[in-house]
Amino acid sequence: MTKKIKLKISARLVKKRSRRGTNNRPKMCRFCSDKEQIYGIDYKNSTFLKGFLTERGKILPSRISGVCARHQRTISQEIRKSRVMALLPYSGPAF
Amino acid sequence: MAALRQYEALLLTVPEITGDEIKHLETSLDKTIKTHTGSTISFERWGKYKLAYDINKNDYGVFFLTRFEAPEGNNIINDIKTLLKVKLHTVVMRDMISLLNPKHPLTYQRPRSLEEAPTRETENFSRDNKMSGFFASGDDKDGMDEE
Repeated sequence: MTKKIKLKISARLVKKRSRRGTNNRPKMCRFCSDKEQIYGIDYKNSTFLKGFLTERGKILPSRISGVCARHQRTISQEIRKSRVMALLPYSGPAF
Repeated sequence: MAALRQYEALLLTVPEITGDEIKHLETSLDKTIKTHTGSTISFERWGKYKLAYDINKNDYGVFFLTRFEAPEGNNIINDIKTLLKVKLHTVVMRDMISLLNPKHPLTYQRPRSLEEAPTRETENFSRDNKMSGFFASGDDKDGMDEE
């Protein structure tokens, strides 16, 4: 008679599997999906570009902002132009 | 004839700029553009802004945006830059001249200036935020100790 072997799955693996199920949707660049938003990327539009900065004034990586490499390049270029005109800070306030 | 190209120049001037200085800035820019057979499209005042960092010990600055068109292959950009940095260096703190993309619309968005921002009085502010004490108006000054 064969014994039924119960497989033990660790809690870490269960969590990993559940995470894989929920984060299934692919990352889409918001500027690639909506072409009209590209006009918003402008060095004069500092209120919009502020959304791509951290608290300390650093440029957010595309890994976090979810923007494709091409648009990340244009955003970072415009932020640097905006910094020259003192519309955006080079560094945020010190703690 | 060379094709016309559209440019824009964003100028950051000192906060205490006078009306005469603005007129002088506009006319001198217009003059240099016309010498290169170009023409100004617009010259507008954005207003007073709080700067992200101090420039020449100034916390505030006034922005101006001018748009102009000129034939390509011209020395116009260099001439405007020398005008701003040599003759008008006492008024203009920073400048940014860029070529406009013909495919993009001419409309743009800019941050709200200090003049456009809504002003709130201290009484309204304390009432909205339910504050009492030093700024509170009326009898309910519970926090004050009477001796």
